[in-house]
Amino acid sequence: MVIIDSESAVILRLRGPLELKCQLDSTDVVFMQKAISTAFEALRLQVKSKSCVLAVCDSPLLIWPNKCVYEEISPETPCEDIFQWIQTNDQESGGKRTTKKKNRKCFSASVLNFSLMTEVTKPGPLSAPILTKTVQRSHFLCATLQVDCAVCSSCSDPIKDGCGRLLEALTRQLFEMEKVFLQHMRGTMVLVPEPLHFLLPEPNGLVTVVFPRDLPDKELEAQRRELHKQFELPDDKPYFRRANTFHFPNEPYKDGYLRNPHAVLTHPALDNGKVYLVQGIYSYHHYMQDRMDDNGWGCAYRSLQTICSWFKQQGYVERCVPTHKEIQQALVDVGDKQASFVGSRQWIGSIEVQAVLDQLLGVTSKIMFVSQGSKLASKGRELANHFLSEGTPVMIGGGVLAHTILGVAWSETTGEIRYLILDPHYTGAEDLQVITDKGWCGWKGPDFWDQTAYYNLCLPQRPRVI
Amino acid sequence: MGRSYIVEEDVEGYLSKLCSQLTGPVTGLLIGQSSVQRDFIVMATRTPQNESADAGKSVDKEWVSEHARQVSRMLPGGLSVLGVFMVSESDAKDTLTTLRQFLFSVENLISSEQLWMPAEDDVKDCVTLHINPKTRKTVCRTFDVKDPKSVAKPADWKYQSGVCSSWATVSCWLNIDLLVPLPGSITCTKPVDDCLKEELKVWAQQIERGVCLIEGKKLPEDSEIKTGQKKNVRQTYTAQLLITPDGQMVPDVVQQCGGSLSVRGAIHSRAFLHSNKPKAKLAEKLLKRDIISTVATRVQMLLEEPQTQTEENKERKQTEQFCLPRRVFCPVKATSPLCVCDYQFSDEGLSEMTDRFKEMLDIEATEADLDITQELIAEVIESDAKAESLTEEAEPPHPWRNNYIGVAMATAVALLASAASMLYLSDA
Repeated sequence: MVIIDSESAVILRLRGPLELKCQLDSTDVVFMQKAISTAFEALRLQVKSKSCVLAVCDSPLLIWPNKCVYEEISPETPCEDIFQWIQTNDQESGGKRTTKKKNRKCFSASVLNFSLMTEVTKPGPLSAPILTKTVQRSHFLCATLQVDCAVCSSCSDPIKDGCGRLLEALTRQLFEMEKVFLQHMRGTMVLVPEPLHFLLPEPNGLVTVVFPRDLPDKELEAQRRELHKQFELPDDKPYFRRANTFHFPNEPYKDGYLRNPHAVLTHPALDNGKVYLVQGIYSYHHYMQDRMDDNGWGCAYRSLQTICSWFKQQGYVERCVPTHKEIQQALVDVGDKQASFVGSRQWIGSIEVQAVLDQLLGVTSKIMFVSQGSKLASKGRELANHFLSEGTPVMIGGGVLAHTILGVAWSETTGEIRYLILDPHYTGAEDLQVITDKGWCGWKGPDFWDQTAYYNLCLPQRPRVI
Repeated sequence: MGRSYIVEEDVEGYLSKLCSQLTGPVTGLLIGQSSVQRDFIVMATRTPQNESADAGKSVDKEWVSEHARQVSRMLPGGLSVLGVFMVSESDAKDTLTTLRQFLFSVENLISSEQLWMPAEDDVKDCVTLHINPKTRKTVCRTFDVKDPKSVAKPADWKYQSGVCSSWATVSCWLNIDLLVPLPGSITCTKPVDDCLKEELKVWAQQIERGVCLIEGKKLPEDSEIKTGQKKNVRQTYTAQLLITPDGQMVPDVVQQCGGSLSVRGAIHSRAFLHSNKPKAKLAEKLLKRDIISTVATRVQMLLEEPQTQTEENKERKQTEQFCLPRRVFCPVKATSPLCVCDYQFSDEGLSEMTDRFKEMLDIEATEADLDITQELIAEVIESDAKAESLTEEAEPPHPWRNNYIGVAMATAVALLASAASMLYLSDA
């Protein structure tokens, strides 16, 4: 809903591969489990040893946390000072940010990435190596554990405390990985554990869960139910599906689309007004993307794509965002259009959007009809309620244009209203600066609408599932 | 423009001595360091006598190559076999053809044993030297040994004093901990040696990718190791190496095996750079290559020993331990930081070392000259190998603390209720 500006916090994130290798002495389960536990214990000892090194990514900084050696800095250096050492490209998922935001919102900019390394050199002299050969018919386990720990810290915390917490988190994660590993061992079949981070509503915050890597969401429902109970979360909204994993602020998205461009805007402050926004993450889809020239006719398709991207990223569906052809084919499949529709450049409207959402995603939508654009100003309460209870982006079509509404600012007392619009008619590159400066994503007044045309709004309803 | 070889004065004396011996033609190896601008030759060593060959028969290239292969194992980082020489009265042109053959054979054999990746900036030229003992005429030519069709190029050969003196040394002690499965199923016929060699290749790549610190700092590539040092102070630097396993390389599997092989312990690695502003990038490259070579050489030597071949008794569990030989250093010259090295098995004495230095490198060394302090002889433990611990004092796990500011942090474990598709390799 509303982004609360909490005290300046920084996320410390540690990642790295750890090799798990051991000979499984017999097919006796107890012995095998013991061998695996021993291997995990060795990894935990490695993490506590003097040869454990944390490297600050994209910087020359190296830390030996168990030896209290801090290259270039001191243990008391506050976390926020570490950022000065980082050499970045200043590019964010394809879009350029030329103005840096001065006040750091919680989780909006500050992530300090570390990578886990091992020092293999030691002061000598030391003993020459021994080769040990064990001959025995048995099994051999070889797996790579991708550890991923995240802890929250205050900007002014000394770095040594942050590192200490990271290592504790890492040790705990290794215990959990061991547990998940042993639980899913069946004979010689194993499931490799994988840590995932989820951002839960206050007071829980950022939480790390270890799931078996290769199990799909639908086989983990029981675990999710357990977690919802543990964290006292509503049982009609997914928080622990793989799509819900927390996206760390400075990681670019591989697909190149911008996420939530509205997040950088300053929201209007109306008298006695409140801001009601889309809940969750969507991608900005617009003209000319994906090498598809739909300039002049594809605006509703793009709005529909934005809506589909929301359902995927919240974990409700696994299906990829549909292409124009797939959207058209879906309409043919439900009997709404003739077969010749596919490959054409025909417009679609809210009703078609509703039909496609149902056909491809299994999502139902409500249609709101407004006889004149001027009457949209009176729909403040309804739109506010939609964003409160559903939180989905809204497609609005009327006149000759389609847009996406991402939120409203509405005052119950004065009736003043503003609409947060995501415009699919943009034909440029994924440049956040341009998109927000030029208003392709921005707050509009009631005069934005054609006052005499009629409008249909498609309000997608979110499924009540976890 | 040809290459320019700056040669240690002592080498001139050595070659002179070979000229004045009245026996037939003599071949040998030239050892030193090549760089883009200049090449330095620090020593020469004649090919040892081939006892089994017929007297009077000319030296064959297999013998010369085998000598080169063994010598190459005795050279720490930065030093390598740069070429071959021949002292003979035959016509220069014939000798050149023979020398060319020797050179290519030597280089092919040495590079076939290398586990490290050749680099773009490696010098590919090697040198042939022909000296006529009567006239003392010296003919020096280079060939690009990576090009089988390369032709001889003229090169300069200049003697200078003190070539062995101004060298920087970079060194470290490095832990190695490898574990590899032995082939066990009937379908897998890979011999033990190959399994270990493949694992060594993976390990070598980890080393090459590792972050190298010199005197505690990660230096930018083109910078020098240290400026402002006086010329006559011995330049020795300690290096550190940080590695991570490659997450992508190994698939996660549980496989059948016939047992396992582990190599655990430490090695001492050393590399020399001709100083006159030694570059950090070169130091790192040479040290890493030495690390890889010294481990690969010792494993190879151990596998060549007869006692490591054992009978397999499929039912009982058998554990055997073998010590890898330890590295022993010998100075090239009293006033020089340069050393050569050799490997001592636990059943060998120092006299065998000095004998080998004499035979392979024609170095007169006494037992007192040898530096045996860099590596300790490993002790074989009779009980299970797991008793040997490489990890240092570790504190017990901390009790779970909850002292985070602002946002609480919690972790949870997912429990699986139903059976699911698993990741595995079938036994069939």
